[in-house]
Amino acid sequence: MTTLSQASSVSMRAEQTRLERRYAHLGLLLIAPTVLIFSAVIVYPLISAIYMSLFSIFTPTLEGKWVGVDNYVQLLSASEFWWSLLNNLIWTVGTLTLQIVFGIGMALVLHQNIWFRSLARSLILFPYFISTVVAVLVWKWLFNDLYGILNHLMMSAGLIDMPIDYLGDMPNAMISVILVGAWKYFPFVVIAVLARLQSIPDQLYEAAKIDGAGAVARFFDVTLPQLREVLVVIVMLRAIWDFKEFDLIFLLTGGGPIISTQTLPLMVYKEAFALNQLGMASAYAVVMMAIMLFFMIVYIRKTREKSA
Amino acid sequence: MMRRTVFNICAWIVILIVAFPLFWMVVTSLKPQSELFSRPPTFLPATLTLEHYAKLLWETNFLSYFRNSIILSVMTTVVVVGVATLGAFSLVRFKFRGRETLAFLVLFTYLLPSVVLILPLYLMLVRLGLSNTIFSLVIAYTTFALPYALWLLRSFMAGIPEDIESAALVDGASRMEAFRDVILPQLLPGIISTALFTFILSWNEYLYALVLVNSDDTRPLTTGVMNMLISSFNIEWSLLMAASVMMSVPLIIAFAFLQSYLTRGFGAGGVKG
Amino acid sequence: MENLNLSIRQGEFVSLLGPSGCGKTTTLRMLAGLEFPTSGEILIGGRVVNDLPPGERDIAMVFQSYALYPHMTVERNIAYPLKKRGASKSEIVEKVSRVAEMLQLTPLLARKPRELSGGQQQRVALGRALVRDPKVFLLDEPLSNLDAKLRGYMRAELIELHAKLGRTMVYVTHDQLEAMTMSDRIAIMYGGVLQQFAPPQEVYREPANRFVAGFIGTPSMNLVDGTLRQDGGRWIFQADGLEIFADMLDDSAVSGPACLGLRPEEITLGSGPLAGVVQLVEQTGHENIVVVRIGQSLRLTGRASGNQVWRMGETIPLSVNAEAAHYFADGPTGRRLNAPRRATSFRNLQSVL
Repeated sequence: MTTLSQASSVSMRAEQTRLERRYAHLGLLLIAPTVLIFSAVIVYPLISAIYMSLFSIFTPTLEGKWVGVDNYVQLLSASEFWWSLLNNLIWTVGTLTLQIVFGIGMALVLHQNIWFRSLARSLILFPYFISTVVAVLVWKWLFNDLYGILNHLMMSAGLIDMPIDYLGDMPNAMISVILVGAWKYFPFVVIAVLARLQSIPDQLYEAAKIDGAGAVARFFDVTLPQLREVLVVIVMLRAIWDFKEFDLIFLLTGGGPIISTQTLPLMVYKEAFALNQLGMASAYAVVMMAIMLFFMIVYIRKTREKSA
Repeated sequence: MMRRTVFNICAWIVILIVAFPLFWMVVTSLKPQSELFSRPPTFLPATLTLEHYAKLLWETNFLSYFRNSIILSVMTTVVVVGVATLGAFSLVRFKFRGRETLAFLVLFTYLLPSVVLILPLYLMLVRLGLSNTIFSLVIAYTTFALPYALWLLRSFMAGIPEDIESAALVDGASRMEAFRDVILPQLLPGIISTALFTFILSWNEYLYALVLVNSDDTRPLTTGVMNMLISSFNIEWSLLMAASVMMSVPLIIAFAFLQSYLTRGFGAGGVKG
Repeated sequence: MENLNLSIRQGEFVSLLGPSGCGKTTTLRMLAGLEFPTSGEILIGGRVVNDLPPGERDIAMVFQSYALYPHMTVERNIAYPLKKRGASKSEIVEKVSRVAEMLQLTPLLARKPRELSGGQQQRVALGRALVRDPKVFLLDEPLSNLDAKLRGYMRAELIELHAKLGRTMVYVTHDQLEAMTMSDRIAIMYGGVLQQFAPPQEVYREPANRFVAGFIGTPSMNLVDGTLRQDGGRWIFQADGLEIFADMLDDSAVSGPACLGLRPEEITLGSGPLAGVVQLVEQTGHENIVVVRIGQSLRLTGRASGNQVWRMGETIPLSVNAEAAHYFADGPTGRRLNAPRRATSFRNLQSVL
């Protein structure tokens, strides 16, 4: 006799079976290490960062004094903060734009059946995976004012008469940083766009061809609308990552000349370990996070929508 | 046909320009010091030499940095991938209170800037007396590697049909046995992919290493090689380029043999959500 | 899903039938222990199994997706449930080869699932369930991914298998043909609610409500919305262009909106007092399915023999077998209002079987 009965129970409370509870316990057990590590190295530090920003802390001794919101008041009235924010925006917008435009272009090229396609893809992908340290060393050597190949090539092409100081002058420094950033990170856009391109059904292009659309019209009417969704996600993600970029700028220019390429992450580092103001640095970090929060929420919403 | 050829040539010119810095890095590392400063510069070395590599290996701390980087990256990868695999299994296949909140937290921390966490972490690790140890870096690297690995593995895990696990349960396996017998073999490509990304991320990390470690015994490659640049009075570019090449060796290996795993990780990562 | 109460006899073949999203798969998964009822009890062989994990419920399941383990060979797939039960090596070898023999899988034992055709994968999934000889087999639309011809073949195989093993089988399907041909009894579900649980003939002849009436049978029963009224002690059903005496209504009938149900075979085309315009003729070979319009908007579907040719637009005479009519209360699952007709004999027949 096999019976399945589900008579409505008297109590409204949904009672879990013992098996269900056992599964839930096992689930919690499996996630426990993650939760522990998260709490210890992410949640706790995040909260203490906010707490620290209310103190004045001298880095070498780590001795602190409660100052309340003084750090924030001071920060918002400092012109260096606003300059750093402006630099941060210029850097983010500049390098992001180049990454997107160049990334889409290269993805379209690699989507075609070009010679040695997989080799081409590897070559394009490589800058993204190498260490920023390596990228910076190589570019510093290329940028070298006396023996750098870049100056040599531009001079022999007659573009310039004198060697250029790529990293020590303005606006050269900002342009160089933006270009190197674009070079290093555009492969991310290439791969992401390429993956999406490969999933656009061929029928769409054939239909457009039958309707008499040329190559350009096909790009704007078929390709771009299909890419729109993935592009929004890519832009958000890269905007967040570019905004918080530290290594590349710090290693290339150190924020210089003076503070012309100093972005907020560099400012945080400088306050904490050059000016030894750990509390003030925390305040900078918190403000920076607050600015990023906007993008983060938009991105999280977007990915939620998709998974829902 | 003509148009195809022109297109191919133009495309390859652009690709070669993008790849040029890497080409130049290799070429520079193989040139004798004197040839670096010849005008006009030689595009292929007139004389090939491995002297810089020899010097790098025997006369600098490079090998010690390399060893530190290997230990550090392997430890981080093992810890993070191990924890994240179990965590992802739980997040995808179990129901418990707070699961959604946790998934949200993972995504949030995946986007969190390191500079926010580094100050309190520095404070914490100094107070625990762990600063200047490789272990402190493993702890610090977990902050970005764990959310990343969880996020990747979560979407790999979601791609495994639930029916397979159900079938194993009906066939008499417990949840953990089903995980071991059925899910783990299916997840393996995803785990390899995630491990690869975690390793590369740790291998390339700079900021935490800069702040948390300042002795040559514990320095990883990133800060170690950068130190060679800063501390030397006159910069030996070929030596630095040789160091850069050597630093990229694990990547080149990954590229040569495991490229499909790299692209797979890309798909599963942030872009596809 | 709410208030489901099903009792299945040992050795019975029961189908859970319904449109997608009706809760039939959920029911099956609850039986398997893969999902959990919010309340109530599940008994297998007189034992409450709510707290038992799937593996201890003495059941085997065949999944719609087959759910073969992709990294294991056919042999290891079939052996897995035995291995999990701690069977000895020799026992595993013996049972696997017996099942493989029975399902003609012997030459495929060393292959991986992805190297098999859909039909072969299906047989492996079946083999994995059979190898264990459980009390109950749960089958979740096992044939829905096969092509029509193979489906017909496997249907016959399953019937034969059930006869041979004499095991209880619970079979989820959305295909009424499968349910009607294979089952001892059919549980028809809709919107998470059990609508009727009865042998195939009874479900067909005495649909418990309007949903069952419309769901079972191809072409489906004509359902005509209209009103019931009482006139001089007799019930009369009236709809656009149609008015018939509704005898045999039970005591629960009330005046007001109701629904008339007529099987296509209860409509005689070509003779009779009514007249209709031919709207559509579907030729299936041995018979024609004809849709006629009566009055302004009433459409009825009837059957006619295959050599009877009518053209569209032609007006033909027809009659309706009012004695065979069903009446249902208003609403998508309105209950049947007429007393069972000819039904007793069928019920007896079924229990004798």
